[in-house]
This record gives sequence, C-alpha cells and structure tokens, in this order.
Amino acid sequence: MAISIAGIIFSSLNQNTLSRLTADRAVAAIPFACRYRLVDFCLSNFVNANVTNIYLIANYNYRSLAEHIGSGKDWDLARRSGGISLISPFQSAKDASAKLYKSRLEALRSMKDHINELKEEFVVLMDADTVLNINLHDVIAFHESTKADVTFVTKIIDVDYSSKNPRMMLTTENRKVTDIVLSSVYTEKNPELSLGIFVMRTTMLRKIIEQANAYGLNSLTELFFDSYKKQNYQSYCYGGYVATVSSFLDYYKHSIYLTKDSEAREQLIGQKEALIFTRVHNSAPTTYRKGARVSDSIIADDCIIEGTVINSVLSRGVVVRRGAVVKNSVLFQRTYVGENASLNCVVTDKAVHISDSVTLSGNENMPFYIQKGRRV
Amino acid sequence: MYLKKECIAMLLAGGQGSRLYDLTKKTAKPAVSFGGKYRIIDFPLSNCINSGIDTVGVLTQYQPLALNDYIGNGEPWDLDRTRGGLSVLPPYQGQNGSDWYKGTANAIYQNIEFINQYHPSHVLILSGDHIYRMDYSLMLRQHIQNDAACTVATITVPIEEASRFGICNTREDGSIYEFEEKPKVPKNNQASMGIYIFKTQTLIDYLRIDEADESSSNDFGKNVIPNLLHNGEKLFAYRFDGYWRDVGTIASLWESNMDLISENPPISLSDKNFRIYSRNSARPPQFIGANAVVENSMISEGCRVHGKVENSILSGGVIIEECAEVYNSVIMEDVRICSGARVYNAIIDSDAVVENGGVVGKIGADKNDITVIAKGTSVKADISSGA
Repeated sequence: MAISIAGIIFSSLNQNTLSRLTADRAVAAIPFACRYRLVDFCLSNFVNANVTNIYLIANYNYRSLAEHIGSGKDWDLARRSGGISLISPFQSAKDASAKLYKSRLEALRSMKDHINELKEEFVVLMDADTVLNINLHDVIAFHESTKADVTFVTKIIDVDYSSKNPRMMLTTENRKVTDIVLSSVYTEKNPELSLGIFVMRTTMLRKIIEQANAYGLNSLTELFFDSYKKQNYQSYCYGGYVATVSSFLDYYKHSIYLTKDSEAREQLIGQKEALIFTRVHNSAPTTYRKGARVSDSIIADDCIIEGTVINSVLSRGVVVRRGAVVKNSVLFQRTYVGENASLNCVVTDKAVHISDSVTLSGNENMPFYIQKGRRV
Repeated sequence: MYLKKECIAMLLAGGQGSRLYDLTKKTAKPAVSFGGKYRIIDFPLSNCINSGIDTVGVLTQYQPLALNDYIGNGEPWDLDRTRGGLSVLPPYQGQNGSDWYKGTANAIYQNIEFINQYHPSHVLILSGDHIYRMDYSLMLRQHIQNDAACTVATITVPIEEASRFGICNTREDGSIYEFEEKPKVPKNNQASMGIYIFKTQTLIDYLRIDEADESSSNDFGKNVIPNLLHNGEKLFAYRFDGYWRDVGTIASLWESNMDLISENPPISLSDKNFRIYSRNSARPPQFIGANAVVENSMISEGCRVHGKVENSILSGGVIIEECAEVYNSVIMEDVRICSGARVYNAIIDSDAVVENGGVVGKIGADKNDITVIAKGTSVKADISSGA
C-alpha cells in the first residue's frame, strides 16, 4: 500500500488570547469565511491528501465542535476503518483533580494508547488556529526526500508581523533547521514562522513522547528546543495564503482581508480540486431584495439582504433590512440588522439583534464585538 | 430481517419530460434544477422524510444517469437506512424477459416484490414532477380514518385549466363517485395531483388486473383509478391546500422559479421544520464583487457575481463577469456569463457559456417565449440567440 498517514488536530491552544470568540466554543469551532469553522481547514487538508484516520483532540467547550463534526459524514470521515475520532479530555476516577490539557504534549500523553496502536507509518500534527489550504502530499514527499526526523511547515513572515502569543520561529540553512526561538514579532535572524504543522514518522512521535516523559518536558516547544541541534529538523516553507488566528484582531483582519484579495480567497477556498468541506446545513439560497446594494462581500446561504453590504462577511441566515448599512464587518449566523441601522468594523456573534436605526462603529484596529444573542 | 412499515412510498421518476426539450435531452425531468440549489425530485423526497416515511422506491427509466448519481443511496434526504431507506428501481431483466416500464401502473406492478419486502399496510404513489411541500402523514391519517381502498390527493385548479387534469367528483363526505381523466367539459375543478395512497392488497390486486388487460395503457389515472371506482371500491379525496406546480413545460418551470423572487413568495424554502434537502456540492460561499449590482434575485453558493443580476435565480458556481447583465432568467450550475454579454428572460442550462458580447433572449419576453440554452452550449458574440 502507498504511504499511510494519520492526522492529529489540536483544537484549543489559544483559548485565552481569543477569549471573546471562545467564551462558548473551542477555537476549532470558531466560524470563519462565513460558512466554515476553523477545524474544517485541517480536516479538509487531511481528507484531500487521503488522510482518513484523524484524531481531533478536544479540550474546552467542545460541545459545538462535536455537534459540528457529527459522525464526520460531511467530510467523508464516517468510516468503519479510521474516520474521525473526537478525543475528549481524559479524567481518571482515581485522580479527579486532573486538569484539562494545557499543551499539545499533555494532550498527546493522554492519548498514548491511541498513538501506540496507530498502524500508519506517518503522522501529521496540526493546530486548528492555522487556516490554510495545503497539499500535504507535497509536504510528505519533502519529508521523505530530506530524511527529516521532523518536518516543520513554515511561512516566511515580514517586518510587520506580530501575534498575541509567542510562536516558534526558525532559522534554516538549505531547509535544515539551525536555530529556534520563541517570538511574537518579526526577527531578522529567524524569519520562518512555524505554522504548528509537524510531520514525522509514527515511531518518532512515540519516541518524542517518551523523551519528554523521561526529561520532564512540558511542551512540544520545549522538546524541539532541546533537540534541534542533535536531530534533523527540516523546514518546508509554504508560499500560499495562511491566516494564523491567535487573537481577536487577527481573526477580524484575516476575515476582512479575504473580501479584498481575490487571489487569497481563490487559493484558500476556491480550489476545485482541493475544496474545503464543512457541515451540510440544507439552507435556502440567499435572497437579494429590491434596494440591495452589495459589493466586495462574502455571503453564505439563507441570508435576506435589503440594504447595503460592503467589504463584509455574512454567515448563514443573516438579515439586513432596508436602509441598513453594513461595512467592514463580520456577522455570524442569524444576525439581524434592523432598518436604517449602521455597522462599521463590527463583529457580531450568533443571533445578535441590531435594532432599527442603531449605529455601531469600531475601527479597523479595534473592531467592536457583540456577544451571542445580544439585543442592541 | 423482517420489516413491517405502515406506509412506504413509490416515486415515479422515469418520465422523459419531453415538453422541457433541451433541458431533458440528457437528463430525466426530476433531475432538472430548480430554485438555485435544488432539483425537482428534492421536493417529493424531502416531503417523504418530513412526513415520517423512511422507505422510498424511486422508479427511474429515462436517461437515469444524472438522476441516479444525484440520488445515490439517499443520504442527503436522510434516507440511507438499514431498516428501510431509499432504493433506486430501474427496469430489470427477470426470468420472463426484460420489460421497460410501459406506464405508471406497470412500473409499480413490476416492483410488487420490492413493496412486499416491507409488508406495508399502505403504499403512497408519487411522481417526481412537482414543486410542493406536503405532509403525507396527514393524508395517510385521513385515508386510515375513512378506511379507504384508495385516497387521491386533490387540489383546486382554475376552471379554465381543469381539462388538463383528472377531475374528481366527490360527495359531501369526500368520497369520490366519479373520476374523469382530462374531461372536455369538466364538472368541477377538483383535480387529482397524481398522488395516491392505496391499501397495499388493493393496489396489488388492481395492478394484477390491469396488467392482464391487454387493452389497458397501464396508467393510474386512465385505467387503475377508474377501475377501482367501477368496482365500487371506497375512494376518497384528500384536499391539499398549498402551492403545487407541475414544472413540466419551459413556461411553468420559468414561472415557478420567478415565483420564488416575487414580492410574497408562495412557497417557502426556509422552513426549518420542513426542510427541503438536496445533495450538497461543497462549494465555497458566494462572492459579490466591487461593481456588482444584485437586486431581486436568489443566488446560490459558489457564485461569483461581478456584473448585474436582476430578477433572476442563479444556481451554484455561476460566474457573472463585470459588465455582464442578466435579467429575469434562470441560470443553472456552473454557467459563465462573460463580460459584455446580455441575458434576457432565458433559462440557461448548466456549464453553458455566453461569450463576450453574446446576447441571449428577448427583452420583455413572456413566459411562453423563454429562450433556452442547452447544457454546455457556447453562445458566441456574433449570434444573437433570441427564441
């Protein structure tokens, strides 16, 4: 049989830095690009590379994530052999004080049995907060050809890069990793940002977990710091569009960016041979009534639009009434915008109700957020 | 596994739909696109599952490939079941040779064994030709209450059109005493919808009788129902009071689509308690461009609109380039309307392309004058395709 690969997705890393959006949901369940959730990108990248044995590690607030995934049918992952498995937090009866996982390593430790039973030769680890459409076959081929112990998928970042939490940044020589630092801003010496996508042999993953246990290490980052000099770590530099969603502002900026850059949009969600799959909702097509003025916007199904929408992202079932103006905003499912209301740089969570003539304006660097179900 | 169902459905989806011309040249009528993201067959299938009927036999015949592909194992309509579920029933070769379905009754006759697998008390006969939302369980309840041998669903039609239908003449209690198929002088305007519920044994008995009658055209409306009546069987009418359209002609298909974007759409596609399910094609969300003008229209997923769309319905993946204009039209999947092209009052079938400067249709054409562009056609700039 050809190369066999298993996938592991971590769903809750930046719970804290994304606080507003994760009050009621896991990071992986955050809606993105109007009809997807963050986890859909990881899942689709896997499915499109024929990786169909996938473990989704859930941690906090995973009810809406579990509901979204269901049996995995909509990603073709409802299978008797493999498919998607949701790994919920493990708490033994003996140790009721056990905490939820704080790091990827802790999560991996808790699924040691699953990892020991993996029959696949390779395993790919992914973080739900990194949004991209990548051909994993290319990455595996690179990993094989460089005989890497671990391949990091990376992206070259530019001077104005910044993130709310520090991430691994690499220096490489001919793709071999020669230095790793943790940083939240661009550093000239280490311009390659690790995207949290790691490829390794399954045997290597087991070794890593053992090693971490032996040395009392608490995170993958610590382990990689410890080992990069002695091991063959390689960097696969990815040139396509990537959105790292580490903060609410990141989330907002990336969402609006997609309405402006058609190439990024095409590359992320428009590739016919590499579609992003998501849960099927069976909603009606969107209706644009008389007086609707929509431009540069991404719109999901089941919306009713009577007003003006510019540079915005509208999820399922959003209603924009006559005279209302929505600009540079991200409206989650079933948001209602009343007549003559005006929204600029606003993010509304699910089922928010904006009454007639209400005006709300944030700013592109400080967008306004309205919690789920609020009436304004 | 021994299965016993109260009622199963037999959905006649084998017709050619010849009055849809190019749209059904290579596709069975129930597979024709409607309302942007749906196919005609989504309506009876969704009605079934929403009515609690989880066992449906779909009888296909004419050009079934697109239809069979679309239906698959019934999963989109929640009909992929171990105990029941959807089965596609094409004509097959048996011990006594092979037989195409000769008529609606003959099609069911050839599938009596399928029906018997589920030991149903009743059988619901449907066609895949109409746009409507109906809870069949209410009709079944009335059928059982009346202890009817057969219940015919009826709808009031304009009297001028009554001669196109099977007309039911009923007593006060709803029992049918006369049934006239396409009468020249209709006695009333209570028309049969071609939806019947039979007691299973009654159905089987009369299908056998009909099959043995060489002069019969093996049709429910022309032969079986009149025969039941003739033999004094208990027939009742179930009055349906909602939107119901036969979209078997270009005019009616176009008009029903336009109904969806009228001021007060007569049928809802957004009722969460009675969803219309359809097969999902995982397209990206629609994008409306900087200079697009979209008004009074319905747009489906995957569309990219950069030009003008007015009073129209766009199916999935349609591309309207900048400076293209589309009015009063039904545009099916993956069509591309290039820059400078104009489309008026047309139905454009999937994968067609209207090239730069091409013109399709006539401004102000009425429903009887709709231009149809066949699947995959490329309409060039120098040829104006008015109907």
